[in-house]
Amino acid sequence: MTNARIYSLFFIVFFYSSLSAQTWTITGNISDAETNESIIGASIAVKGTFKGTITGIDGNFEIEVSDGETLVISYIGYATQELVITQSGNHIIQLRQESVLLNQVIVVGYGTQRKVDITGATASVKGEELLKQPVMTATQALQGKVAGVQIISSGRPGSSPDVRIRGTGTALAGTTALFVVDGVLTDDISNINTSDIVTMDVLKDASSTAIYGARGANGVVIITTRKGVSGVTKMNYNNFIGFRNATRLVEMANAEQYANYASAATGQSVLPGDFDTNWYGEILRNALTQNHNFSLSGGSERSTHFLGFGYMEDEGIVLNNKFIRLNVRTNLDFNINSYVNVGINGSFTRSNDKDVNLGTAYNNAYRAAPIIPSVVDGRYGNTSEYQNVGNAVLDLNNNDNLAIRNRLQTSAYVEIKPIKGLSFRSMLGTDLLNGNNRRYNFQFFNDEITFLKAGGNQRSERSSLSVGNDNSFRWVWDNIVSYETSINEHSFKFIAGTTAEAFSLQWASARREEVPAIKDLWYITTGNANTSTNDGGGDKWARNSYISRVNYNFSDKYLFTGTLRADGSSRISKDNRWGIFPSVGLGWVLSNEPFMQGISFVETLKLRSSWGRVGNDRVPPDAFTVTVTPNLAYPFGGGIATPGSAITQIKDPNLKWETTEEFDLGLEYSLWNGKLYGEFGFYDKKSRDLLINVQVPAVVGDEDGVVLTNAASIQNTGFEMSLNWRNRVNEDFTYRVGGNLTLNRNRVIGLNGGQPILDGGIGAGQIYTTRTDNNHPIGSFYVLQVLGIFQNSEEINAYTSSSGQVIQPGASPGDFRYLDVNGDGRIDDNDRVFVGSYQPKAYFGINGEFSYKAFDFSMDIYGNVGNVVYNGKKALRLSGLDNVERSLAFGRWTPGSGIQDEPLANSGFLPASTYYVESGDFIRLNNITISYNLPKRLLASARIENARIFVTGQNVYTLQKFTGFTPELLDSSPTRSGIELNAYPTTRTFACGVNISF
Amino acid sequence: MKNNIYCITFLSLVLILTTRCSSDFLDVPVQGAATTATDPALAEKLVTGVYNSLISGDAFGKGDTHGIAFIASTNIMSDDADKGSSPNDQRNTIGELDDFLHGPTNVFAASIWNGHYNAIAQCNQALQALEIATVDEVTKNRWIGEVRFLRGYYYFNMVRYYGGVPAVLRVPESAADANSDDTFQTRASVDEIYSIIIGDMQFAVDNTPLKNQTQTGRINRGTAQAMLAKVYMYRNDWQKVLDLTTEVVNSGLYDLLSDYELIWRFEGNNSIESIFEIQTGTFNNTDYGVRGYCVWQGPRVGGLGGWRDLGFGFCTPSRNLVESYEQGDVRRNATVIEIDDSGNHTGTILYDGFRIPSKDSVENFFYNYKAYHSELMTIEPFLGNRDNKQKNIHVLRYADVILMQAEASFELNDVSLAISNVNKVRKRASLGNLDNSLSGTALQEAIWKERRYEFAMEHDRFFDIVRQGRAEMIMKADGKNFIAGKHELLPVPALQIELSGGRLTQNPGY
Repeated sequence: MTNARIYSLFFIVFFYSSLSAQTWTITGNISDAETNESIIGASIAVKGTFKGTITGIDGNFEIEVSDGETLVISYIGYATQELVITQSGNHIIQLRQESVLLNQVIVVGYGTQRKVDITGATASVKGEELLKQPVMTATQALQGKVAGVQIISSGRPGSSPDVRIRGTGTALAGTTALFVVDGVLTDDISNINTSDIVTMDVLKDASSTAIYGARGANGVVIITTRKGVSGVTKMNYNNFIGFRNATRLVEMANAEQYANYASAATGQSVLPGDFDTNWYGEILRNALTQNHNFSLSGGSERSTHFLGFGYMEDEGIVLNNKFIRLNVRTNLDFNINSYVNVGINGSFTRSNDKDVNLGTAYNNAYRAAPIIPSVVDGRYGNTSEYQNVGNAVLDLNNNDNLAIRNRLQTSAYVEIKPIKGLSFRSMLGTDLLNGNNRRYNFQFFNDEITFLKAGGNQRSERSSLSVGNDNSFRWVWDNIVSYETSINEHSFKFIAGTTAEAFSLQWASARREEVPAIKDLWYITTGNANTSTNDGGGDKWARNSYISRVNYNFSDKYLFTGTLRADGSSRISKDNRWGIFPSVGLGWVLSNEPFMQGISFVETLKLRSSWGRVGNDRVPPDAFTVTVTPNLAYPFGGGIATPGSAITQIKDPNLKWETTEEFDLGLEYSLWNGKLYGEFGFYDKKSRDLLINVQVPAVVGDEDGVVLTNAASIQNTGFEMSLNWRNRVNEDFTYRVGGNLTLNRNRVIGLNGGQPILDGGIGAGQIYTTRTDNNHPIGSFYVLQVLGIFQNSEEINAYTSSSGQVIQPGASPGDFRYLDVNGDGRIDDNDRVFVGSYQPKAYFGINGEFSYKAFDFSMDIYGNVGNVVYNGKKALRLSGLDNVERSLAFGRWTPGSGIQDEPLANSGFLPASTYYVESGDFIRLNNITISYNLPKRLLASARIENARIFVTGQNVYTLQKFTGFTPELLDSSPTRSGIELNAYPTTRTFACGVNISF
Repeated sequence: MKNNIYCITFLSLVLILTTRCSSDFLDVPVQGAATTATDPALAEKLVTGVYNSLISGDAFGKGDTHGIAFIASTNIMSDDADKGSSPNDQRNTIGELDDFLHGPTNVFAASIWNGHYNAIAQCNQALQALEIATVDEVTKNRWIGEVRFLRGYYYFNMVRYYGGVPAVLRVPESAADANSDDTFQTRASVDEIYSIIIGDMQFAVDNTPLKNQTQTGRINRGTAQAMLAKVYMYRNDWQKVLDLTTEVVNSGLYDLLSDYELIWRFEGNNSIESIFEIQTGTFNNTDYGVRGYCVWQGPRVGGLGGWRDLGFGFCTPSRNLVESYEQGDVRRNATVIEIDDSGNHTGTILYDGFRIPSKDSVENFFYNYKAYHSELMTIEPFLGNRDNKQKNIHVLRYADVILMQAEASFELNDVSLAISNVNKVRKRASLGNLDNSLSGTALQEAIWKERRYEFAMEHDRFFDIVRQGRAEMIMKADGKNFIAGKHELLPVPALQIELSGGRLTQNPGY
């Protein structure tokens, strides 16, 4: 299109002025319909403009409106009312508590809909609910709140939790849902300040997510940030300050127990000595965490604004770890005239992450012998010399890492409504990310200056400095036309549009050695130039989509939704590049049928059903193109090597989308005037052509032994329900209790003609622990079955196959007796059995809120049952000198003990077996918050509208069967989920804070 | 007025919707990585890349051709060396191999397999690219010859490690292709593998130039002939051994380096004795060599401590080896670093002046001198990266040609050539001549014995005693738990069997 046309269009649109009309001054009072209590701070806005005000201390308001304009009266927790003004005067308006089902508005992707009109499965959580919890990422606060949504979080500062919606649906690039922040699609919301969020809407089924096509397969979480309201300027300050510590630590053997065990394991004499080091105690600490947010919002007739500022500081519970985030947000909206709105949302985030090598630290702390001290008079205990395990404290102290990330996210839109019902919206979103990493390694030798005793492999012969810089930019441009109309009882809503998106990334890194150990000199130039190395690279991709949706509603009884999206992605080869993602949904609002009218306790009852197809395109851009690995050099005749290349990665040229088809059936209900409400749902989700990094035989010649391919298909079938009861007992006491439950069954329904997928290698001889095979959940643990322990050599000799062959001739008394599954008289990989998977059979949340006078109390419980986890760190026993868990040291088999569950003292390298598989069931008191609202009369004099002080505990108590740190484990691939190797223990936080509105 | 606006709005919209995305918007090339189509010098670079596979030593990761897994499964498994280091260090990996307790899940048995098949795949990739490369025939055949030699060499190692292995001679189109083609998933016979090796090496003999006509360190005709001779020796094809070794001898390009102890030092790199030598140097401003070769074998601190050690102390020469050298054999002190255990605390002074303290501060009694690389930059090049020291690995040197010629002569009843060849090697070792009247098994044993001391700690011994059929006898005499018919070969890695869907069979006894 020519530029001239665009300009002429905008010229005409912007300068077309509206007709003037008669103006009235309206006064009024707003109160609660049941209690008649005045409502302070209710918002009164003039529909279609930014004009508005809020009620004062006695519930009164005053506003100027033109003839025929509509007032929109809203207040949190109450149903919004509209009032058409035809004359001036005083209006007494009574608001009713909101019926969740009837009036809740859900952001559905490229638009909004009333919950009651939606034919798909959705849920919504309000910002203030999220704010109650002292968590760093908003998604973590979703845990236990929504049926069908599983949040798996790590205690690591700055990390994002996994969001799994209705089971594990896809395999690649994590299984996390898509996020949409103010219309802009993103995979990472760690930059969003929870305090800026108004609502989080969760789209669960394929019919709701199909509008996001190739990105919807894992469900969608839509985040809407706050906007200003015209009228009185509002200010808000909220904070929390608290402490974090590890909720649960694995108790390791002390010096004496260790010496006893290690002596027995190695056959050498290990003496307890003078030290008794608790290595976890040495690397862990109580960490300070604090969060401060300030916001300002308001607006005039023609514009509204929201300004937010946030500061968050989270000391990790591990020595030297720290995360700081600074956050600024500006949301501005302008009403150019009666049919043109423009707006811009911008958020800038800067985070400072003082990262530590947690994997190494935890692994070392678990394995290090307690008889070696951590530090004595500035010199470190030499665990490396003693047992080839690094001193965790030294490792943490001798690396100084800092990662700074700056992220600027903006979205700007223009919305034109030329005639009633028709709207055109064009939105451009940008996301600019800049990262700087610095890693400094101090110089130290394995000598007696550093260590109490010289030797070992923990050394850093030369100091080194590595710096890295990366810049990425992504833009997304949506153009959407929507049209809404009704003819008698038929109402229609159409949208159609296009989106385009492109991404580019560049990175460069440099490293030098012999850099002085002075922080101010930590720049590349100060290093020895003869040791310079550098590297760099980049990435680019693009997406293009066409979207459309039809909503039809007959008489608020019969609902139909149809969507169609076509997605093209540069990351898929040309032949498979485009995917079509359709969906249909039907709804029947039974409660609006005449035959239901007599049933008075039913407020709303809706039956809905949908089918849809979605996809996942998160494939690396080079996944189908064979690339050449450069710089594999060879120094012919010595000296400087000649660069060479190799093709080290095998690619699948026929790579295609992952596609998910889902059937959904649901019943939504709201009874007794909304006192009892909730949903029942059933889903059947088939994900085909899952992209999995499949282990391939070495003969294929793939260097890392894995090839990305469409390897398997899985099915998740589930049932979910939520049940909430809320009641206002009297003026002083209101409460809500609710619960949700999800039952999910995951199983593999196809392997695309390939082999079962083996994964979950631990090391220490356990080369795989999981197998993904037909009819079993994805990534099921596949190990030997322990039957017990050989008590004596007679038992070993008596353990024979049907042909009389001794099955474990190499065993000693105290070794495990394994089940010979195939009866061939020997124990090998053919005797492995499926023993469950990390996919829970059920997960649930229970929450309650109680308000009595000025006090509020709330609590959340979350749990899951029916899954298993693998104690990988226990399996990764590399030497007889490695420390052991206290329970092993106590409970180990000794001759005559009769013990059947712990083997004799050993040096590790035991085969993968049920010994390491433990129940993943847990139930946790997620959050308890008690708050006190300061009396409003008291505050009025200080011009404070609301003030709340609160005390909160996050992750207060967990009941778990697992003996490791936590059964909640993040992993990149579902074919190896649920293995605890170096897990960061979940953290418990106690905090207090205030929330003040002016 | 209003109607016009609508018209314009919608015209604009239609235009935006239909023209915004040009058809190539989604054709985004891969960034920062050359593809097979975009790299003009691909074939030549892939050839160099194949050479690079010689220095792979990621024994706990991607694979190993000449790193610690190689050291463990050649030297340490033999009677020449022990695991070394502290008793518990790597007990479950190297210790298992040393004590013949290893099973199909041994990490090093797996990384040898992976390292070799990665390298073989690189050979096949290079060969595929060379087929279509636009270079002159002579150069092309030379490169093909070099690559096929290396592929043959890797298969020669594989057949000695595992017996018959899958005969992978082409690049699979995809993982699915490799999965459906039984050649990839099942074992070829030992004979088939040897015929592949011989085919590859013969091509190299026919298409590579002589040593002095090509870049130092490249595969040349002498390399190919000598290695092919060795292959034929493992097939007991003695006439071929004699013919090939004689051609190498007659080329006049090779001789024994006069000073034995210089062979494994920087000074001895690419000497007159060098035939197949893994090259090291510098790259990206750092040392560039076989990963971990020196640091794994470096003398290790122990007991009282008090010094900064040189490494982890693995692969220590066995007492059996150290104490069985003939009196006056210079090779003993060139092969073994002997730790001072006299009680006088004189320590051990190495050739570059480095002093290792006496036994009470050192973990083991002996260390491998052939893996010692000086850290004094004036003596040997060293940029400070201990993990990749510039230590060339002498895979095959002229002394081997001399001794192979001797053994072939013996087998073909030319006793005098056999004896005179052994004497050449003994002379350099400052040892007297063999008794001229030696013949029969006595002469055969003399040749074999010479091989042991000449190539001690040079990764030949274990394969050699298996070839000679004496493995069981020798290993049992050394007190090892060696089971004949099993321990001659490594187990096929359990994971590989599993990934083949059970089509790959295990070696006997495992």
